[in-house]
Amino acid sequence: MVEATQTKSKESKNIKIVKDATCTFCGCVCDDMELTVDLDEHRITKAKKACVLGRAWFYEHTIDDRPVVLIDGKEATLEEGIETAAQVLVDAKFPITYGLSDSTCEAQRVAVEIMDIINGSIDTTTSVCHGPSGMAFQGVGESTATLGEIKNRADLVIYWGGNPAESHPRHFTKYAVTPKGMYIPNGKKDRTVVLVDVRRTPSTPLADIFVLIKPGKDFEVLWALRALVKGKKISENIEKDTGVSREVLDDLVSRMKNAQYGVLFFGMGLTMTRGRHFNSGAILSLASDLNEFTHFVAKPVRGHGNVTGADNVVSWQTGYPFGVNFNRGFPRFNPGEFTTTDVFSRGEADAAMIIASDPASNFPKKAIEHMKKIPIISLDAKDTCTSKIAKVRFAVATYGINTGGTVYRMDDVPISLRPAFDSPFPSDQEVLEGIRNRVKELLKGDKARLAA
Amino acid sequence: MSTTLLKLHTPPQVPLETEVISPTSLSGLSESGIEHLQVMHGNVKAKLGDFFKVTGKGGSDIHLEGDLSNVKMIGTGMSTGKITIDGDVGMHVGMGMSGGEILVHGDAGDWVGPEMSGGRIVVKGNAGHMVGSAYRGQPAGISGGEIFIYGNAKNEIGNSMRRGFIAIGGNAGDFTGVNMLAGTIIVAGEMGIRTGAGMKRGTIASLQSAPMLPTFEYSCTYHPLFLRFYLIRLQENGFRRIIQDKHLNGKYKRYSGDGIELNRGEVLLFAR
Ligand code: SF4
Repeated sequence: MVEATQTKSKESKNIKIVKDATCTFCGCVCDDMELTVDLDEHRITKAKKACVLGRAWFYEHTIDDRPVVLIDGKEATLEEGIETAAQVLVDAKFPITYGLSDSTCEAQRVAVEIMDIINGSIDTTTSVCHGPSGMAFQGVGESTATLGEIKNRADLVIYWGGNPAESHPRHFTKYAVTPKGMYIPNGKKDRTVVLVDVRRTPSTPLADIFVLIKPGKDFEVLWALRALVKGKKISENIEKDTGVSREVLDDLVSRMKNAQYGVLFFGMGLTMTRGRHFNSGAILSLASDLNEFTHFVAKPVRGHGNVTGADNVVSWQTGYPFGVNFNRGFPRFNPGEFTTTDVFSRGEADAAMIIASDPASNFPKKAIEHMKKIPIISLDAKDTCTSKIAKVRFAVATYGINTGGTVYRMDDVPISLRPAFDSPFPSDQEVLEGIRNRVKELLKGDKARLAA
Repeated sequence: MSTTLLKLHTPPQVPLETEVISPTSLSGLSESGIEHLQVMHGNVKAKLGDFFKVTGKGGSDIHLEGDLSNVKMIGTGMSTGKITIDGDVGMHVGMGMSGGEILVHGDAGDWVGPEMSGGRIVVKGNAGHMVGSAYRGQPAGISGGEIFIYGNAKNEIGNSMRRGFIAIGGNAGDFTGVNMLAGTIIVAGEMGIRTGAGMKRGTIASLQSAPMLPTFEYSCTYHPLFLRFYLIRLQENGFRRIIQDKHLNGKYKRYSGDGIELNRGEVLLFAR
């Protein structure tokens, strides 16, 4: 429950303290924040326990003065915005919804429902970060755990292809490296930390063992480790090929086999380099192989706040995590065919709804060119390249700061949000519900669509 | 044998799914019967006649004309007859086919002949990713038939294939024959990296050298007699310019793998 106390401070300012608030900036979703909120100024003045990134996230959010809705660049009312958005979606033959990672599960759920009603496609930012992991889970399965379990038990922690010190600052201190756990009474002293990467990063000094591999050789090294774990032969050229000597591999294998409880954390350095889903598949398989000797788990270190929630919601509603198409009234999953980058690059989609993400700034050039040709509906808490080219642009409240709801931590643990202050903007859930209701009305007994 | 001609008069604005274009579904139908067959234009039901002009009754010989790169699923589940496509074709051509032939006089999209069990697909141009592969989440890819691509093909050729024959005249992408269970893949050009990762049985041969995974072991350099017969068959089927006599008679380096799996697969690379 929200434990908020409202007091008047000396300067007679309207100050509120929000305890156990949640930071949604990165996939750690730390839920132990203590926020000091200046209700007159509409901003957070202090965020106890937050890391640098979290503090920046909390401090930069104020209420800016901009119209709630713009249609073709002109100011409009919320109703007009919803009407136009619904029209665009209903008229489209191959609409797609993309984004959703910085949004609550409740809003994600409505987005899936809209695509289900209009027989469109739904895709999340997972398809450009850890989507390959999603495909690999399906292919090879997953040996998994929560971060709490890892904190209490893991004595061998391996990070592969990531730089948590900069991307997830509290991952080390809150979950996996320094905290004391039930069976890890001395914290870091009881753990061996291994970092595998293609270059040194600010995370490197923390590691007991740093393994430097040649760029693009992750799969080869993982494959060699799998073979050694199984007692199979590997090529003598391994050091020449991958930059990792046989001795280092043998040492790593014996550490992995002799650990009480091992964990492999992997980042986008693994999933978004050449080989993608096979790289994630290889690390998940390595964890599975190791379960013949000891307990081993593998976990992707997810980036955006609620991207894990997006996977969970889309999976729970459609059966698949991302890249799902409803054209025929039932869900079909085919990454490469129904994933947004591909759909845009091939010039297929004829309308798109982009929620809390900015593909117009980070997609391939060809995809962005196509985006400029089709009507885009954008829901975002801030102005982005995507919202600038949108036909209908909704300014929405920021989740976790202005709105409540549920988000999933990177280990699939759901966490409630405790908003700090109110926003004049609607939440994305409210806007989406409006669009959904209007779409339903428009489609009543209409069109040659399949009965969904 | 009479020919059924389907000429594209209105290019689809969004992907068109036309699994009805196969000798099995067209046979015995009149021209207007064919034009009334249902297709999916994005999320809207449409008629084949909205996009194609049909000439001739439905028979076992179908000709398609026009740029069909946005038309998916042609020849789904066909078991007999022939489809000739004059131009490029979209994804999933020959999906799950069990017999007959599809000839593409242009490029093909991703997923050529996914999960087919028999028949033959010939693509004169290039093909996309996942030629003759399994769909995501399925345990096995093609279980029979032949796929010949004269040009290049991209990643994951023959992913999880169980039986059958895939030949690529040009270059192949990464992960050729990944998780292969059995069957044969021949690539005349260069292969990308990680060939045969996770393969259990089967043969992958190339007329060029290729980087091998650390879990593949060199066994010997020899002249595999059976390969000669495969190559002769390819020479007879349009690969004459690429496959020369030295390839028929030469020696190949044999690697066995994947060591992580059964180690019963082989990769043959032309040596001299
Ligand atoms: S680690 Fe991530 S979730 Fe935790 S405070 Fe920092 S940015 Fe926020």
